[in-house]
Amino acid sequence: MSVNGSRVADAFTDGRTALWALVGLFLFLLEAGAVLNFVVSLTIDGLLAIPGVDAVGFLTAVENAVREIPTLLSRETIPNQGYFDGSGYEGTFLGLSPAMAWAFRATLVYLYAFAAFGWGVWGYRIYRREYRAADWTPRDDVFDRFRGHKWGIFGLVIVFMFVTMAVFAPALGPTTVDQNMRNSYGHEIDYWDSDSGSVETILVGDANLDSLSQGNDQNVEPWTYDDYGRFHPFGTMQDGSDLFTFLVVGSRISLVIGVLSVALSASIAATLALTSAYYKGRVDLSMVLVSDAVMAMPQLLLLIMLTTVLRESWINEVYSGGFLLALIFAFTGWTYMWRSIRGPALQISEREWIDAARSFGQRPTTIMRKHMLPYVTGYLLIYGSMTLGGAIISIAGLSYLGLGVAPPTPEWGRAVNLGQDYVRTGSWHISLIPGILITLVVTGFNALGDGIRDAIDPQSDSAGGETAGAGGGA
Amino acid sequence: MSDTLLEVENLRTVFHTDKETIHAVDGVSFDVQRGETVGLVGESGSGKSVTARSVLGLVEEPGVIEEGSIEFCGDELVGGNWDEHRGDIAIVFQDPMNSLNPVYTVGNQIKEALRIHQGLRGQAATDAAIELLEDVGIPDAARRVSEYPHQFSGGMRQRAVIAIALACDPDLLVCDEPTTALDVTIQAQILELLDELQREEDLGVLFITHDMGVIEETTDRVNVMYAGEFVESAPVEELFDDPKHPYTKGLLASIPGRTAGGDRLPTIEGEVPTSTSEPTECRFAPRCPHAFDACDEVHPERIAVGDPDADHETACLLYDDEFEESPPEDGVVADGGETA
Repeated sequence: MSVNGSRVADAFTDGRTALWALVGLFLFLLEAGAVLNFVVSLTIDGLLAIPGVDAVGFLTAVENAVREIPTLLSRETIPNQGYFDGSGYEGTFLGLSPAMAWAFRATLVYLYAFAAFGWGVWGYRIYRREYRAADWTPRDDVFDRFRGHKWGIFGLVIVFMFVTMAVFAPALGPTTVDQNMRNSYGHEIDYWDSDSGSVETILVGDANLDSLSQGNDQNVEPWTYDDYGRFHPFGTMQDGSDLFTFLVVGSRISLVIGVLSVALSASIAATLALTSAYYKGRVDLSMVLVSDAVMAMPQLLLLIMLTTVLRESWINEVYSGGFLLALIFAFTGWTYMWRSIRGPALQISEREWIDAARSFGQRPTTIMRKHMLPYVTGYLLIYGSMTLGGAIISIAGLSYLGLGVAPPTPEWGRAVNLGQDYVRTGSWHISLIPGILITLVVTGFNALGDGIRDAIDPQSDSAGGETAGAGGGA
Repeated sequence: MSDTLLEVENLRTVFHTDKETIHAVDGVSFDVQRGETVGLVGESGSGKSVTARSVLGLVEEPGVIEEGSIEFCGDELVGGNWDEHRGDIAIVFQDPMNSLNPVYTVGNQIKEALRIHQGLRGQAATDAAIELLEDVGIPDAARRVSEYPHQFSGGMRQRAVIAIALACDPDLLVCDEPTTALDVTIQAQILELLDELQREEDLGVLFITHDMGVIEETTDRVNVMYAGEFVESAPVEELFDDPKHPYTKGLLASIPGRTAGGDRLPTIEGEVPTSTSEPTECRFAPRCPHAFDACDEVHPERIAVGDPDADHETACLLYDDEFEESPPEDGVVADGGETA
């Protein structure tokens, strides 16, 4: 205990560590508001959906208070939604054009994200060099192998950019979901009317109606302005709303559902695999039977059935039905992970320290948690990251079919669906861009999984390994 | 409290595999007194370790204790009653690298046992762990308590394993080939340590090994195990002076340095059969130099032999008056007399 205490004290007298901590604090302060906003809004969405919780007033007050905290990367600090007043831009950051202001903010967001990542790596290195008791641990080799794994690094970069997109969704979009889609008739914008030569005001909803992308006649292409001086990095959708904003916010729900379902199925899989490996015999056999039974159920049919049956229930309200999706994915998807983990778990259960612990009367749950779980977490990571890609594809597939995440909550698969009538026209971007993004992100997750596997278990053959990402099905 | 710690009666542990039923331990009986060391010796595959695991209740599916009783201090353990005596019986395994979990410090693993059996936590547990490490002869215990198993040498690791066993404050220590994975000088140190601990704590020890030399040095009574059965049981001096069963003789003859001359170390040809059915014959007969017709037809029962005071038993038809063949003369070696 005393050792730890003195280490903390050392950390503040040691220059490098103090510098590191200061940089961390600085980075956090820049974004404290956004971080809190992200956490609070997620929790509040969840809380509000639970029946019996009646605290809307209080919760929105909290949400608004959090929103007031100034942050560097917010649209208030670096605004891009201004208008041309004949001589220059009003209301944009430093009078830049809306496109430049937006690009500046987006770049800053990614720079910030990479800086935060670098800060984490820096901290780990300081810890490794100065504070860790051992000079070398097997984990160092894992990291080194991963660093040399180009495909894995590619996956990491893609996944990291995707996660950044989800985390900074409100700051990244050129406009907001509320203003541009949900409540477009509740907001007004000013724009430069070149016919009259003056600044006019229009409802966003009306402006959207004039910015439709529906083929060759009416189209707002990627990286262009519409008639109202609004910049659209990915063009507009078929209803005139901004595609980039839609996709950025859609990434958030994909990530939340994906992570939730994988975390749930990983914990089910790990618990059952450890139990069957510890008790073996009949327990193991019964679990094989159960998992085979679950595997035999057609996942897609089950999804369609359950989403339809539970459409009216409260559980379908959480995250626009995303929570229900995550639950269904978890309860149908754990079997694949369980199968993969059971083997290593059985191997570990044969080790003598398990018997030693049993012989002195350690509880089975403690033995599983303490003496077996650490040996299967690596496999959980590998299969988790691969299944995540599969989950994201499945969610997109369901939304494409009109199931799953309920409109108007943005979801990538729905964008593909909405744009499919215009694929052969000038409005190709509505389907194609989200399609490419889905492919890229899923490939990224699979690549990351490959990289982690090769790093953890160098004997495994990366060419021969089957990827769980194909398990999307839907 | 009676002096009998462990009483095993007619223990049968079988493994039901898909193909066949393996009788790993087939009707063994023995007991261990307080302060006594009982040896269990035999080749690989003779059922020694399964006996040890049965005593500790560590037999896993598909294995099952089918018959017999294991009484510890008068309490029957068979039927799942081990939990009440967890920690009273401790085990030291063969390979100390495998019986220590490499991801936790040695101290952490000793404290795990201390917490369960002595309710010690935090600093008190650490102090107790250091004390235990000192007891088993690990120098600089205060520092080494926070080291990982890979930082320990083989002998040190086995000492740490013994410390974990002692943390349970056991009455009976089961040593499953504790010295097999160690080199000879370390073996001697570990044996000495075990001997010392046994005298200090008045432990009963069930000592399993395939090394006759270790048996001679450490045990009070010896049970010679072959294919799941005890073929001979005797006090250690009696067994070494006057072995009766041809298998025992073969084992003794194959100890380097015991046979005179120096041409070629005698061996017992063949290997231990896997017992898949109830025996109808002597299981050692195919390898036995003295086998005669009846050996293939009659399963030998244990009968008293040798010095009537010595409690010496063997299961061999050579000593059964019902059968004609007379016992071989002492000194004839079991491999058929090919030796010098």
